[in-house]
Amino acid sequence: MRTIPAKIVFLALIPLIAAALYACARTASMATLHPVEVETAPMCGDCHPDDRAALNHTEDFFTVKHRYYAEQQSRTCTLCHKESFCSDCHAHREELKPSDKYKNSPERALPHRGDYLNQHKIDGRINPAACMKCHGRTNNERCRTCHR
Amino acid sequence: MKKNGIFPPLSSGPLIIRTAFTVALLFLLLLFPVAAPAAGVTGDSRTYFQSRETVDNTKVLGAYEYLDLAVQNRGPETITFHTGGWLRYDITGEDFDKKSNSDLQYAYLSFKSKTDNAVVNLGRVMVFEGVAAERVDGVYARTDLMGGFGISGFGGSPVEIGSGAQNATIYGSRFSHQLSDIYKIGVSYLEENKDGSVSRKEEGVDLWMHPLSKVELLGRSGYNAVTKGWMENAYYLFLGPFEKLRLNTEVSQISYKDYFSSATSAAFKFQAGVLDPNETVRILGEEASYAVTDKMLVSADYKLYRYEIAGHAEYFGGKIKYSLSGAGLGGSLHRMEGSTSNLRYSEYRVYGYKKFGKIDLALDIIDVSYDSPLNGVKDAYSTSLAVLYDLKTEWKVGADIEYSHNPDFDKDIRAFVKLLYRFGAGVNGGG
Repeated sequence: MRTIPAKIVFLALIPLIAAALYACARTASMATLHPVEVETAPMCGDCHPDDRAALNHTEDFFTVKHRYYAEQQSRTCTLCHKESFCSDCHAHREELKPSDKYKNSPERALPHRGDYLNQHKIDGRINPAACMKCHGRTNNERCRTCHR
Repeated sequence: MKKNGIFPPLSSGPLIIRTAFTVALLFLLLLFPVAAPAAGVTGDSRTYFQSRETVDNTKVLGAYEYLDLAVQNRGPETITFHTGGWLRYDITGEDFDKKSNSDLQYAYLSFKSKTDNAVVNLGRVMVFEGVAAERVDGVYARTDLMGGFGISGFGGSPVEIGSGAQNATIYGSRFSHQLSDIYKIGVSYLEENKDGSVSRKEEGVDLWMHPLSKVELLGRSGYNAVTKGWMENAYYLFLGPFEKLRLNTEVSQISYKDYFSSATSAAFKFQAGVLDPNETVRILGEEASYAVTDKMLVSADYKLYRYEIAGHAEYFGGKIKYSLSGAGLGGSLHRMEGSTSNLRYSEYRVYGYKKFGKIDLALDIIDVSYDSPLNGVKDAYSTSLAVLYDLKTEWKVGADIEYSHNPDFDKDIRAFVKLLYRFGAGVNGGG
């Protein structure tokens, strides 16, 4: 007798399990907009001393953490941030450096400040993976003027 | 004045057709929420003028218009439409060998349910879910399930540059579980097909853990099922605050042949002798930051890059930041110690900003001092001065000027003017 491959059984079970779990969930959604205006660089933990405190906009939030939180819970980001806030840096096709658009905010952790035409040759050799995230499959028209 | 370099023409792909299709589709979809009597429109218009010199000594004055719109009804469920894009026209000169250019960054109809945080986005959507950090012309959906589980999925045509593929599809999913305040864990999958063959197949695990107060661990691992190797393992441990001290540790590993296999830019097609395509780098980093007062933060950081083939490099230094209401000062000093002379340099930065009534002023000075001169230049520096004026609540106007001296330009002067307009009621912050 032919047996059904385990992979197919597993793949078929996923939507069934998901449907069952969804049917039983029925919890209220979180708000779509943060109910009160917050100041720049908010400390979420001041009002939400639970897992949301991890979203405190500390110094390391901008340099490291925000990428991981966006992958896990981007709906929380949208409480306060519009899509354009992300696309200002994480663009599909962009000609202006983020730091050029916000020279009046030097305190912000924005990429490519100053002379980056030359500096990118050094940074690219040290850790090209840092370039790949934004320029690997998108936003690389300027790269292709030299890298052909 | 430019020293050397060429500026070859760019190729254009099928993106124009795809973008036009998306715009047409989305405007059709837009009819629905606009027709709702309680719909509201909010948005931002940002107009920029940039004067600069290209690497082939052409002076360019470009005009950019960035427009972001959101249309929202106020019915029992939340249906919104979001779109944003930009266009550029060069008043003098020609940048990128094109007099004009444009891009539709995002444009989607979004349905958010009142229960289970269920969301369906349709159009040109940005997807950040586990291994997926994609822009897709298609659909994205997610929902909470019972018992802390959650599931998301997406599919459509990938919005990429330079792949050259005529027919491309992408789809993926993420399944997650969370125990509030303790952990969030997700497993995710992504597959991309181009012209009938699999070009990407990636699997990943993402993790956030908060096992103890003042201990936070986050990171992810990504596996390339095409090259059959781990692309990336990146994990961070955040400890603190202990009184005023925070400690951050990074441990990561990247395998070049697995990580860069899906790149569409030639910049990531490495060659032995420059960057070996079989290289693996392991990064160990540590940062300690100390809040001297509630206004002053000092930090020291160290990062070790250990390459399997090319030796190692170290990057270390410190930062200081002093913030007041409407004003601030900052500075940093870092040193890169690489294995070759052109990877040894010191970098310095000082900046300050202050608000005077309706006027914001900012000054930023950056200097990079190379151990061995590059193109005859030992110190590359840039100085920028920026001003922003609040015309009204909705209107702002600003200008800045930047002067640079570096290995590519003896003297590079750039000017930038901007006009910002925010419209519509009920726009929440965050830009």
